[in-house]
Amino acid sequence: MAFVEYVNEKANPRRDDRLRTCHAYGGTACGLVKDSQGGCLVNKDRSFSQTFGCQMSLSMFMLQTIPDTVSILHGPVGCGGASPGRDYRVREGNRARGLKEQRVIWYNTNLNESDVINGGEDSLEKTILAIEERHHPKAIFIVSTCVPGIIGDDVDALAAQLQERVKAKLIPLHCEGFKTKIVATAYDAVYHGIARHLIDDQEDAPAEAAGAAQGQADGLIPVNVFNFSSMGRIDEVELARLLKGIGLEANFFPNYVHPDAFNHLKKAALNISVCATHDDYFLEYLKEKFGTPYLIGTMPIGSRNTSEWLLAIAGKLGKEEVAQQFITAETKELEAALAPYQERFQGKRVYISGGEIRVPATGMLMQELGFKVIGLRAHHYDEFGDDLYLKVAENDPDMEVNVATTQPFELVNLLNRAKPDLYIGHAGSNVYAAKLGIPGFPLFNTPKSYYGYRGAYEVALQVDRLLRNQAYQRKLKEHTRNPYHESWYQQDPYHYITG
Amino acid sequence: MATFIERPRNSCALGGALTTLNALQGVIPIIHASNGCGGNICGTIMAGSGYQGGGYIGALSVPSSNVSEKEILFGGEERLEEQVAATLELVDGQVYVIVTGCMTEIIGDDAKAVARRFQQQGKPVFAAETAGFKGNAYHGYDLLLEALIREGVVGPKGVEKEPHQVNLWGIVPGHDPFWRGDLLEIKRLLGLLGLQVSTFIAPDETADNLRQASKAAGNIIVSQSYGVAAAKVFEEEYGTPFLAVDLPVGPTATADFLRQVGRFLGLETTKVEEVIRREDGQYYWFIERLADFYTDLDMQHYAVVVSNANYSAPIARFLADDLGWLPEVVVVTEPLAEEQKAHIQEALAGLAELKDGQVPKVLFETDPYEIHNAVVAHWPKNNGEKYAHKLSPAFVIGSSFEKDLAAAIGARHLTVSFPILDRVLLDRGYSGYNGALHLVEDLLAVVVGGR
Ligand code: SF4
Repeated sequence: MAFVEYVNEKANPRRDDRLRTCHAYGGTACGLVKDSQGGCLVNKDRSFSQTFGCQMSLSMFMLQTIPDTVSILHGPVGCGGASPGRDYRVREGNRARGLKEQRVIWYNTNLNESDVINGGEDSLEKTILAIEERHHPKAIFIVSTCVPGIIGDDVDALAAQLQERVKAKLIPLHCEGFKTKIVATAYDAVYHGIARHLIDDQEDAPAEAAGAAQGQADGLIPVNVFNFSSMGRIDEVELARLLKGIGLEANFFPNYVHPDAFNHLKKAALNISVCATHDDYFLEYLKEKFGTPYLIGTMPIGSRNTSEWLLAIAGKLGKEEVAQQFITAETKELEAALAPYQERFQGKRVYISGGEIRVPATGMLMQELGFKVIGLRAHHYDEFGDDLYLKVAENDPDMEVNVATTQPFELVNLLNRAKPDLYIGHAGSNVYAAKLGIPGFPLFNTPKSYYGYRGAYEVALQVDRLLRNQAYQRKLKEHTRNPYHESWYQQDPYHYITG
Repeated sequence: MATFIERPRNSCALGGALTTLNALQGVIPIIHASNGCGGNICGTIMAGSGYQGGGYIGALSVPSSNVSEKEILFGGEERLEEQVAATLELVDGQVYVIVTGCMTEIIGDDAKAVARRFQQQGKPVFAAETAGFKGNAYHGYDLLLEALIREGVVGPKGVEKEPHQVNLWGIVPGHDPFWRGDLLEIKRLLGLLGLQVSTFIAPDETADNLRQASKAAGNIIVSQSYGVAAAKVFEEEYGTPFLAVDLPVGPTATADFLRQVGRFLGLETTKVEEVIRREDGQYYWFIERLADFYTDLDMQHYAVVVSNANYSAPIARFLADDLGWLPEVVVVTEPLAEEQKAHIQEALAGLAELKDGQVPKVLFETDPYEIHNAVVAHWPKNNGEKYAHKLSPAFVIGSSFEKDLAAAIGARHLTVSFPILDRVLLDRGYSGYNGALHLVEDLLAVVVGGR
């Protein structure tokens, strides 16, 4: 189906129905790519599993950055409860971008037993009207969760009907947690809502836009770069610097972008993704709808991937030559800066766990720093991983790979065997490595720097610091334990993977 | 129809049940719900309760059946059974408790029947129905405890009561951010009375404390709202009497509390009074050395307290009756039954030390928007007049949500209730004698903090 057709539907499709997704696998990098391409992974699951996230919780990470909006969690009172933790991050993000500091405001429709029987639409209506009256936001995101999904509330019909009475744009999003175990579907859900409600149909030919920019005083070509919450402003600044170095002006979407400003999206000569896990749905849509070409390739983490990312962009816009010069100068400088660290890291072993794309990209960065990557774990896997997983395992085709959305039980089994010197993990997983006495470096830790050439240096610096004193982890290991029977550590780590 | 809530200050019934299970020693939770519920709840507690993580088996390590569309269509009991069997194989615990979420209850899965099948094989598996739509986290606490009592985690039947053994309930782990510090302080104090106290969460306890809980001579609930329903079920099942009292904060309330416990259990008055005398002595040994600073700089404040049903009145009472402050407005942030509201109103009407009978204004309100407006409306505005009545200096003692409110009325701000984002909590608690010392320290740290 074409992406414009997807966007005509009320709800976006699940990634499970659109990509060759997988969330349970154990084997090697090459095996993973081969099996995934062969279509043998789509039905894999687990007979023992641990909790993780859902579309609802992940969608909030994006939505709550959008200024002048209020989100409604349409569901029972617990859904969305992690929102307070984003308030300071969003304000920090506001400050870093010179925006007005705004508190994160969200509402919960607080569905109770009688709503489950009679439907939650009345409660939703009251909520929408109250928000309009109290906050006068530009837009209201209505995040529909499991309960309305099961009882069959027609959120879209209600929103359409109320829209006449409400100035705020009402944007229904379908984020029922039970619909998919590929949590990243949340990004599609949010982009789906943005595409349907915040971008008008007026076309704005990108080629012309590029041409217009050429005529601008600074001669920079406008491009869009798609950001996300695990990327701080400092990383945007670095990517903007790199793009400027090859003659491009980066505009960042969608996080921290005002609802009125999404139409500016159409002005770009190129849409650039930093991570396929986030943007493929939206960039395909923008291409079909407005003809804007896009680039979804590697992630600009580490020297090699940053350079390849820049070259790929340059290739699309006829900037190869300037890019090559720029890259040569940049990498030379970076190499010199990294040399003392590479010496210290030589031969140390690292295990990396988290998002599908960021993990192998970080793996390549760690290889550049002198580490040996002994294992990778991806929250999920799909076709966007193929290139990177083959690249990171170039010299080590048997590199261990586990696809698991956290699943700490598999993690500790693997780490206990591998005994790495360092663990690099997604938020929510570092504690389990720490309990095994392994120091953990956060896979993302905004507002610290991580992307581009500068990010590579910053990672080296932070990792070096972490390795200098490991008392916290060592003592934690001595005094606490993970909750599994000792026999688990003798068992095949993939024992509970089925299908 | 429910009323919406702006920025809810706690989680759902499943959330309360889960954070409680996560706190109980030796008990392994198994969530029967979709993949997101447990993660969402762990994020809630992390974000709201002073950065508390999962401990032995919490956060993202909680076993969960992660039901998806297939189970929603065809039923999830089979999947649950598979998950429980694997959990027993893999996870080291004494008691395993299934808690259900919205979707598995709507589709009618019978988690209790699944648990029973395991019990028939001699496995310690139990179930509680805790769908999020049943209520908030505090309600979830009671739902869980009722199930633990009725389903036989708590036991045993037909044993003699031990006159010096008591169980302590009423504080909802995780949602009461100070649950550890508070329970341990009350346990310490009751221990001084010669009692053997089960909190079920303390590091030196195990699931055996639950399994032997029916031997207790009584249940002490340090809440007039939470744990009371469960205590009634306990009484029905085991004939165990209970005492539900306000969480004691500060020397005056704690002395009252110890005397009430003494009467409830028929303890020797001289013993109780001796404990009070010693604890009072120690409390004032600290406070004495504060008095120079406190009086020279006049640390008395007007106060607004915004907290849950457990904390709001007790904090206000401590401020009024021990610290000599002036609570102006007390906001209780959860929906309560009339009887529970009456308790709180009564407690605040009885503040002994307030002259002129100036009882604080009491508000039962969850919504930060309404709370903000009500307090701002109550606070005299200074429009630059030369002689204007004001309530200053003032303190807002509430959650992180009240930061803006404090700024709006020119007050200082300390976080004592969910969500707490500006501090990391470990053994902090504000109850009893030691807790009150911490509270004084933390309040005055705000005053001198900028120096
Ligand atoms: S899985 Fe469903 S009910 Fe659970 S937190 Fe996510 S949206 Fe809410």
